[in-house]
Amino acid sequence: MSEPVILELEGLIATLIINRPDARNAMSIEILDGMHKAVDRVATSDASVLVITGAGRAFCAGMDLKAVLIELSGDPALGEQLLTSLAELTLKIRKLKQVTVASVNGAAIGGGCGLTCVCDVTISHKDAKLGFPEVDLGICPAVIAPWVVKKLGGGVARKAMLMGGVMSGEQAYEIGLVDHLSDDREGLAELTKTIADRLATGGPKALSATKNLLNEIDGSFDEAILLKGAKLSASVLATPEAQASLAARLTR
Amino acid sequence: MLKVQIQEQIAILSLDRPDKRNAMTPEMLTMLDAEIKNCASSVRALVILGEGKTFCAGFDLKQCADDPSGGTMRQLLTGLSTVVRTMRAIEIPIILGVHGAAVAGGCAILGGADIVVADEHAKLGYPVVKIGVSPAVSAAFMMASFSPGAVRTLLVDTELISGLEAKRIGLVHETVPNRDDVRCRCIEIAQELASKPGIACGATKAWLNEIVEPMTNNAQEGLETSLSLTGTPEEQERLAALWG
Repeated sequence: MSEPVILELEGLIATLIINRPDARNAMSIEILDGMHKAVDRVATSDASVLVITGAGRAFCAGMDLKAVLIELSGDPALGEQLLTSLAELTLKIRKLKQVTVASVNGAAIGGGCGLTCVCDVTISHKDAKLGFPEVDLGICPAVIAPWVVKKLGGGVARKAMLMGGVMSGEQAYEIGLVDHLSDDREGLAELTKTIADRLATGGPKALSATKNLLNEIDGSFDEAILLKGAKLSASVLATPEAQASLAARLTR
Repeated sequence: MLKVQIQEQIAILSLDRPDKRNAMTPEMLTMLDAEIKNCASSVRALVILGEGKTFCAGFDLKQCADDPSGGTMRQLLTGLSTVVRTMRAIEIPIILGVHGAAVAGGCAILGGADIVVADEHAKLGYPVVKIGVSPAVSAAFMMASFSPGAVRTLLVDTELISGLEAKRIGLVHETVPNRDDVRCRCIEIAQELASKPGIACGATKAWLNEIVEPMTNNAQEGLETSLSLTGTPEEQERLAALWG
């Protein structure tokens, strides 16, 4: 079986590829474990920049819905386990001394879109699909909400998360969810390389001191709110409303 | 003073003093607060609009000028603060539509809404320092919603901005070309939100409130700052001058 997460360390730029293309890189326990390990390795590496991207057509479709549907998994505790792992992963990425870049090659949905908000810079293309359709599925994006608020500001985040749905890369660029936009999917790799190379020209100490300061100012080190978010999200997930809505979605 | 319409799963509350450009009175704010609380348990989404040509011109300053004790102004400030906090606290989403103008108190109320729609040419702003009133009462919820730099400018500058500019700075989420389209678009959004799973929507709204709580927990302090200036000579002279 292929590795769930591929980590390439080349000089100053590390690249983490979420590698589950047949499931649109949805976050299962294996994917999350693989990401934790990869991020740990990046933390101790000499890289200045970490690029996160997805294998195949999608960036990351969010949580593995099959794993959180109790009827399928048979394990009511799995939802909270996944959400807690995601909460810890987001904080681990935020705390990296490296500048982090999300290169959104395709769909970045729910938790996958939340992952982009944790990164310092998000690059995508006009036809990518991004968004937070959790409420449409009867679930609550509580783990990632603090990161979305930090990225977009409270008001814009409120609309994006309460209205649900998905938007194009172009619309995401307009509301500040995406920072750099290429015209098409083909142009994304080159744009990502240009920006990652440019970021890597910064002094590593200056970059990490700046990141650390920004994290302190915006309350990024608040682990308690992320863990509380995981518990809240898990409790909504366990309601009959959410389970019925997920079941309907998966068997459609 | 306040029109209440229930359409299936949504409630529409309309400020209804069109001959006074829906200027707020203490009674109107008390009724609005009570109706918002009422709706929270009976419908799935709430729309707030204004009757007539404009959404709301702010506090009824004639009433304030007629009361040199500053009591009416204090009631209005307290009422506004209460309404905004109630709007945040209820679990159903609130869509607010600005057509024509949302000025001073009429603009401050946007801080309580989850989604704001305005027409492109609407005039929005807080020209209240001109009459010696501090907009501090609105600051906390504004800071929690859109760019703190833009809030700062808007609260100290008496200039009114257009719906389009308000969208650019994040005060408004969506614009429509004409003022007559505002109502329709708000109802459309409300219907969409009302059709979503209620538990998830309510939990998400409550959680977003909690996340920004470090910024909104000084709302009371803001109200007190605004109250502290009421009845002062600066305010009284400037209010009286308006009607001189």
